[in-house]
This record gives sequence, C-alpha cells and structure tokens, in this order.
Amino acid sequence: MSAQAATVLPYRPPRARNDATAFLGLLLFLGSWAMMFSALFFAYGVVRAHAGSWPPEGTPRLPLLLPGLNTLVIGASSLVLQRALASARAGRTAQVRPAVMGATALGLVFLAAQGLLWSRLWSEGLRIDGGPYPSVFWALTVFHALHVLVGLGGLAYLASRSAGYGPARHLALRLWTGFWHFVGAVWLVLYLAVFVI
Amino acid sequence: MDAAELKAYEELQPIHPDPASFLRRYVFSLDHKVIAKQFLWSGLIFLLVGGTLAMMIRWQWAYPGQPVPVLGSLLLKNSNGVIGPATYMTVFTMHGLIMIFFAITPILIGAFGNYCIPLMIGARDMAFPFLNLASFWTFALSLVLVICSFFGQLGAAGAGWTTYPPLSTNIGTPGNGQTFMVAAIFVTGVSSIMGGINYVTTVIRHRAPGMGYFRMPLTVWGLWLTAILNVLFVPVLGSAALLLFLDRVFGTQFFIAGAAAVKGGGDPILFQHLFWIFGHPEVYILILPAWGIVSDILSFFSRKPANWYRGSVYAMCLVTVLSAVVYGHHMFMTGMNPLLGQSFMLLTLIISVPAEVLFLNWLRTIWSGSIRTDPPMLFALGMVFVFGLGGLTGLYLGATVPDIYLHDTMFVVGHFHLTMAAASFMGSLAAIYYWFPKMFGRTMSPGLGKLHFWWSVVLITLVFTGQLIAGYAGQSRRLYDPYQYSFLQHLRPLNQYTSYAAFILLAGQFVFIYNFIHSMAAGPKASDNPWSVGTLEWFTTSPPPHHNFDRVPVVLRGPHEFADPEVRERLGRDWIGQAEVLPDAAALPATSRGA
Repeated sequence: MSAQAATVLPYRPPRARNDATAFLGLLLFLGSWAMMFSALFFAYGVVRAHAGSWPPEGTPRLPLLLPGLNTLVIGASSLVLQRALASARAGRTAQVRPAVMGATALGLVFLAAQGLLWSRLWSEGLRIDGGPYPSVFWALTVFHALHVLVGLGGLAYLASRSAGYGPARHLALRLWTGFWHFVGAVWLVLYLAVFVI
Repeated sequence: MDAAELKAYEELQPIHPDPASFLRRYVFSLDHKVIAKQFLWSGLIFLLVGGTLAMMIRWQWAYPGQPVPVLGSLLLKNSNGVIGPATYMTVFTMHGLIMIFFAITPILIGAFGNYCIPLMIGARDMAFPFLNLASFWTFALSLVLVICSFFGQLGAAGAGWTTYPPLSTNIGTPGNGQTFMVAAIFVTGVSSIMGGINYVTTVIRHRAPGMGYFRMPLTVWGLWLTAILNVLFVPVLGSAALLLFLDRVFGTQFFIAGAAAVKGGGDPILFQHLFWIFGHPEVYILILPAWGIVSDILSFFSRKPANWYRGSVYAMCLVTVLSAVVYGHHMFMTGMNPLLGQSFMLLTLIISVPAEVLFLNWLRTIWSGSIRTDPPMLFALGMVFVFGLGGLTGLYLGATVPDIYLHDTMFVVGHFHLTMAAASFMGSLAAIYYWFPKMFGRTMSPGLGKLHFWWSVVLITLVFTGQLIAGYAGQSRRLYDPYQYSFLQHLRPLNQYTSYAAFILLAGQFVFIYNFIHSMAAGPKASDNPWSVGTLEWFTTSPPPHHNFDRVPVVLRGPHEFADPEVRERLGRDWIGQAEVLPDAAALPATSRGA
C-alpha cells in the first residue's frame, strides 16, 4: 500500500505548513497584481508612443527631485520592515513592534510627499482631464497610492496587534512585508517609467 | 504510509464543528459546498435573464420593429412593446455580458470549481475559506451593479459585450448604465481572481496523500488550468475596465482620440489589445472546465478508463499556454502588420492540434465502451458534438483570408455560440445532472433529463447553425433590421426559422427547471455512489458532511479504474475507488475467486 502512495510528507508542524500555504496564496495575488500593473504600464507605453511630443507643449514637467527622494523613503520603509521580520524570525521580539512603527511612519511620509506633489502639480494646472499626459500621471500615481494606503492599513494592524511575534508566529508580518515590498517595487518602476524616462 | 504521516495530514485540515447560526450556515458560509450552491443559484437565475434577452434579439431579427409578444408589454411599455434601436443595443450588450460573466462563469467555475475541487482531491475545504466567502460576496456586489445598469439613465450598457471605444466612451454611450456595467466587470474580475487564487493554492497544497497530479480527475485539471488563466489574465481586463471607467467618470483620455480629444488624445485600439489579451484566454476559461468534466463523464459512463489520460492533460496544458499568445486573431481586421497577422494565424491554427488530441481521446474513450445513456452522458456527448461544430468553424476564422470575408458577420456569432454558449451550456448541464445527487442528496428524474437533452441538443444546433448560414450569406452581426439591405432580404425566412428554434429551445428549459426544483424538494433519496464511480467525492455521504471526509483518504490509484479483471475477480464489480484497498487474492474465500 505504501508503495502505491506517491506523496511522502516529511513531518512539519501544521502551523509551518499553513504558513507556507498562505505565502503561496500571497505570491499568486502578487502575480495577479503584477499582471494588472504590467497592463497599465503597457497602456502608458502605447499612449506615449502615439503622442507627438511627450510631455506636450505648455504642460508643466513632472519634477524629479521630490518623487526621487520619495523613492528612497519607501525603499527605506521596506528595509525597516524587512528588519522587523528578521527580528521576529530570530526571536528578538521586543524589536519587532518599533520597526513596524518605523516602517508605517515612513509610509505616511511617502503618502504626504505624494500629496504635496499632487497639490503642486494641480495648482500648476495639470488637471486629470487635460489630455493623455496628465491622464497617465494621475491614474498611475493615484492607483498606486491606493495600494500604499491598503499596505499602511496592514502595517497599522501589525503594529496594533496584541499578540506577540516570534520565530514561529510571524505569518501576518511576513505576508504584509511581501505586499509592502511589492508596492515599493511598483513605485520604483513607476518613478523610472513616468518621471525619469 | 505510517500513522505519523497520516496524523500530519489530519492536523493540516482539522475538522471544525458545523456552524450553528442560520447566517453562518447558509448566507455567510465558509463551506465550499454552500458557496458553490450560492454561485449555482446566482448563475442559473442570470442564465434565465440572459436567455430572455436572447429571445428579444431573436424576435427582432425575425420581426424587426414589431411589438414583442408577452415581454414587450412587461418591459417595453414606453415604446408599445417595440424594441427601439437604442434599446436593441442594450439588449444584445447585456445578453453577452450577462451570459459570459454572470451565468457561465459562476456556474462552471464558481459552482463546480468550488464544489468539485476539494471533494475530488480529498480536501476538507478550500485553502482559504474566508477568501472564498469574500469571492462570492464580491460577485454578489457585481450582480447589484448589473441590476443598477438596467435602471441607468438612457438605459443599460449599449456598447456591445466587447465594450470597444469610442462607442463605450461618453461620446458613444452617455448615461450611467454603461458606467455601471464597466464597474461590474471590474468587480466581478476581482471576485474571479480571488476564486482563482483559492483554487490554484488548494490544488497545489491540499491534495490528499497519494493524490499525485497525474491521479487527479480531469475535471480538476480543467478547473485548475482555468484558475491559473483567471489569476493571470483577468487583471488585464481589470486594467482595461479601470482605464475605461476613468475615461468615463474622471475625463482621462486613454481611449478617446480624434476630434473628441481636446489635447492630444489616447488610442481606442489600445483597448482592443488589452481586451483581447484577456479575451482569448477567457474563451478557454469558459471551455476548459467543460472539457475536463466531459473527459471524466465520458469515461465514467463508458465504463472504460479515459483514453490516454496524460495526453488529455498535456493537451489541456498546451491549450492553456497557447491561449495566451493568439489574441491577435481577434484583430485581423483592426489593421495589423501582415507579418504579425500571419504569425497570429499560425499560432491560432496550432491550437487545433491539442484540441484534436482531446477530441480523439474522447472518441477513443467511448469506442467499444459499455455506454450508459444516463442524462450526464447524453449531455457530455452533446457537448462533444456542438464543440466539434464550433471548433471546425473556428478554422475559417483563425485563417486570415476567410476571416476578411467572415469578420463581424453572423458566422462569427454562430461560431462562438457553438463553442462558448452551446458547448459550455451542455457541459454545465452534464455537470448538474452528474453531481446533483451528491449536491442535494436526491435524484433527478432521468426520463425528464433525457427529454431535456434531446429537446436542447437538436434546437441549439439549429439555432447556431442558422446563424452560421446567415453569416456565410453576408449578414453582419448586431444589425437592428437586416432587411434594410436588399441583398439580405431573402434571409428573412431563415432568420425566422432560427428564431422559432430559439423560442422552442427556451420553452424546453422549463422541463429542466421543473425537474431541478421538483427533484430537490421531492426526488427519491440518492445513494452515496449512484453512478458507480471511483473518484473521492462518491466515497462520502450524499450530501457530504460539513468536513467532507471523516478521515483523510489515502489515494492509491487514478480516477478512471474501470474494467480491471483483477477487481472484477476480487470485488465482483467493474470499478474500484481511488482510495479503496483491493483485498488480497489469498485472503478471499476459494469460492469467490471465480473458478
């Protein structure tokens, strides 16, 4: 009978197994999101390829410095969160929560800087219905910011969670860290594609 | 398999107590079987809505401009029962979108994906039960948006199911009916992705011990590949719907071009790319579950192992991969580099090779089998027949030269209805008749089932071949009144006969509705394994308990173990369960050894 049974399951505690299942689910989710953002960047590429000049004459240029610094902010936030995860894995449980709070604060700084960018460009006359150039800028940055907002909700939950973190108790932290890295990576591509190039 | 290993499997999916409250049990249930039934009911109700809209289209093509009997006095009071041109646009648009996203998808994928995957791989539930609940209720939200669209200003969505701009922008279809529908597509896409992630993860992580990938029933293979396509390509539709929504509501200019665009302008053809990058995988999303289900049922009711099981698996995998790289054949007439068009043509025609492998496997499975003509088998055979017709007509459209003539004619309509509508419909009904005893613990009337089958298969073939002929004669699709063109006037009798066939086809469905509801309430109690089949779901009670299996089954063999002489000798029957231990020959009493 055992010769016929194909699967051999080495013993791992159920919690570790379920954690692995949840992480696979996260990877599939991120794959799906990646397809969605790829399609949006593809749309941007097609619209831009058809435009006569980019940006069109008389349109304010997108600034490079503020969003560039913001790239560093969200990158730093990812690093701090990764640090929290490493602390949880290593059992340094006291260091987890401060690190998560630090990552959340940096995420809030990122959103505030985005708000500053939006209000500055809005007052310079870059309106969402002003043609394809502002369409791309507003659609991509706002849609990305909504994902940042969701991520911040997750991080706030992690920081407020009463249960402690430990080497075997960090599933939620691991999943939100994965999501947060993804949001950061999308921002990097967005910054390079929409602002720099 | 030792005890510790089995214990690990039991711990992985512990038995939870049954939910006690009504809400937890029937409304916000985490149980994949309940969620499957929720999807089934929603899908069947919207199938009826979509079918009613189809009857209105058929009436219009038979008697354009004349008051619609019965429905006209109910739905079209303002126009004295006549379908006006603008209403006509909304009728065929809503018919297409409802049938694809809110009828076939919930029935084949929502209902049978949810019901079959955990039971057939020996799991106690999906990997993420809460995500499953969220998937259904997100879907329910999209249904609300669809209903809102019907009551929108200037009527429901009217830009065709493909929703091409500029027709689908505010210039072509002002009014919030179209906006609601674009939002509904986005929301139902979110639901599909949540379901897809659940199915993919469940198959990878929750197969019972011994259930290798090549021991999974073909139904599970079809549903799993569908789920992979859903996870990868529905987001692309989501992005198209999102950008279109922004164009309509916030005035962005992704798809608006030409005189309508004040500064610069976007590209309407961009939408076609995004739509068909999703849209071609979508047609396989709608047919792969039916392929899997039919592959299994043909084997079960021929009492033979499925012919070249692995070949069917490879063929379905190859179709899944190829489906991602052929979308350009929907855009031959959009304007495309001829070399690119030829590449897409080649890739498209290559799909017929794995499809042919599947088809020959079906024929060789039933060849010289002991065929039982129960309703599930009849519908499976009907699916093979109508899918064959649909597949063959696809060759004309996949090749660029005949497509130039046939593009946007009723020939295209006939082709995709034979594959996506008729074949998916037959596949869904095969599944409903087959799993009904397991789902509801009661038996449907086989006599009424057979009547329903013959009624449906004859008329559905007449309806869609009638469309093929009209299209070949040059009738464009979506015409409000085809007979305004003098060269189409001789098609009036053909279209009228086709419409009669459609009306009688709808009437026949009331046999099914009666059989379905009556059997659920008062049908004879079903045994645990009424079809004498070996897959895991038939080795639990009908209907299964909340946790599916009291003990995690240990799978020993593939799903189609029929007509094994050793089994016949030792058990006296022609089938054996996937997890059933075959008694030792030596342990049997001498008399039963079949001397």
